[in-house]
Amino acid sequence: MERENRFWRIVLLALPLAVFAVLVVWPLFSSFYYSFTNWNGFDSRYEFVGFRNFAKIYTDKLFLNAAINTAIWMVAAILLPTLLGLGLALLIDSRIPGGTIFKSVFYLPICLSAVVVGQIWVWIYQQDWGLLNTVIWTVTGERPAIAWLAKPETALGSVIVAWSWQQTGLSMVIYLAGLVSIQEELLEVCEIEGASAWQRIRLVIIPLLTPATIVVIALSVINSLKGFDILFIMTGGGPFHSSDTLAMHMYNESFRKYLMGYGSAISVVLFLIALTIIRIYFRQLRKLDEIHG
Amino acid sequence: MADPGGFDHSGGGAAADAAIGPAPRPFDPWPATIFVILLCLAVLFLAPTLGVLLSSIKTTREIAFGELWMFPARIYLGNFAEVIANPAVHRYFVNTFLVTVPATALSITFGVLAGYVFAKLPFKGGNLLFLAIVSGMFFPPQVILIPLFRLFNGLGLIDTLWPIIFIHTAMGIPICTLLMRNFFATVPGALREAAILEGANEWQVLTRIALPLSLPALAVLATLQFTWIWNDFLWPLIFTQSDEKRTIMLGIVNLKGQYSVAWGVQGALSLIASLPTLIVFLFFQRYFIKGMTMGAVKG
Repeated sequence: MERENRFWRIVLLALPLAVFAVLVVWPLFSSFYYSFTNWNGFDSRYEFVGFRNFAKIYTDKLFLNAAINTAIWMVAAILLPTLLGLGLALLIDSRIPGGTIFKSVFYLPICLSAVVVGQIWVWIYQQDWGLLNTVIWTVTGERPAIAWLAKPETALGSVIVAWSWQQTGLSMVIYLAGLVSIQEELLEVCEIEGASAWQRIRLVIIPLLTPATIVVIALSVINSLKGFDILFIMTGGGPFHSSDTLAMHMYNESFRKYLMGYGSAISVVLFLIALTIIRIYFRQLRKLDEIHG
Repeated sequence: MADPGGFDHSGGGAAADAAIGPAPRPFDPWPATIFVILLCLAVLFLAPTLGVLLSSIKTTREIAFGELWMFPARIYLGNFAEVIANPAVHRYFVNTFLVTVPATALSITFGVLAGYVFAKLPFKGGNLLFLAIVSGMFFPPQVILIPLFRLFNGLGLIDTLWPIIFIHTAMGIPICTLLMRNFFATVPGALREAAILEGANEWQVLTRIALPLSLPALAVLATLQFTWIWNDFLWPLIFTQSDEKRTIMLGIVNLKGQYSVAWGVQGALSLIASLPTLIVFLFFQRYFIKGMTMGAVKG
């Protein structure tokens, strides 16, 4: 019996594991390898340069700039979609009519591509007839001449808002799934004991939603590391690198300047950051398991 | 709590009814307030999408005069005609289907195979291997970009659709394995044992018992994978160069130059490009949301 099981394990796992190993695991280790070379993307020859690419990271002002922007993006990603998603989930969960329709409306942006979302928001920020300037014009009576995406001070923030618009639906459905698992009796007890709605949310519901919050924050942070497509479409990292992220910087160095060795070093750093976040995430989940049994 | 009286604008009628009824309840303003707040937020959330819709049925002239965000006096269909008549758009669509359909099918197939082993044929170190595969979901694709570029460059497959199909297949394995393992774990083991006693082999158990039971899970994965692969931008950006091989999302960006101030055409183009995923979303929304939350919570 066990011999047969072993046979089927090998037969069934062989193909998926082989594909995964060749196209995901091996490239991951290769990235480490190339990060110690000066490969330019086309020559078959390249040299080993030791830690020179990593030393360059320390002195590369654009890397520091991209790292800071990625950090800003992460903080915004933790705050905006999480709080908005939680708020929407709580509102929808209060059993108002049309809940399903509201859910679809807030969730819809998730199924749009970054290219389409980017285009929509480029129009919102458009200087002459964009929605944002039109609204400001109507409210203040003064015609604003702000090109939101073309100014270094506003470019990154503008893209983050667009991105949050798309991500909020995701955190909302995760919170809604979390809310379903909260026992009805518990909330009824709160009501009988005379807790106000606000107390109920703050002292009972939000603490019980901790697992959902961990998932939402982890997803937001990880997705913010992937922040590339929408930036590429909306600003291309500009103006003057003011909206560069690490993913964007990696692309620029590798596929615009053809510094694939250096690009690999940046991707190694990206990998290490992602690994750290994933480890924290799994540790938090395990802690929760220990608390709740 | 849902209080139907909350939507009675007069309030008096509800109070009078309550006085006759057994349990008098004070007028609760909350449901109505929440409804109004949600309605406002919904309008705010829909505004961007609505903008594209509105732009697509307007002439460039109207948009340039700042009328993009208003409802049009009449519907102009010239933008859609322009997009539909463009042979490049047909090509982009065909290319995107050529990538999306096989990559979706292959990644789900591999997920089924691996997920079945992890759920029904556990082995020493299996959990660790499973975790290693699943964690692949979390890494930015940039991490494996350069070696893959070198690999497919060496194979002479740059500017073909092959690398994109292969990579999406491989990158889909983590989520597909995760969801299928979790699903197969809920299929009673007794079913498998009974079949094996009757002389069935593992392949027959998988294809004749486990798979027919797992149609909902397959639907979840199909919607998720289809949407992600259809919408992808990075991999076609890296691996395709000529316009003949572009997928729709890159095609849109390419055509921006051609229709640089024809915003209405751009709007129609975005809408048509999103149509397949919008249709999937409308019909399979339940599965889509389920997949997102399942993948997220169990990961």
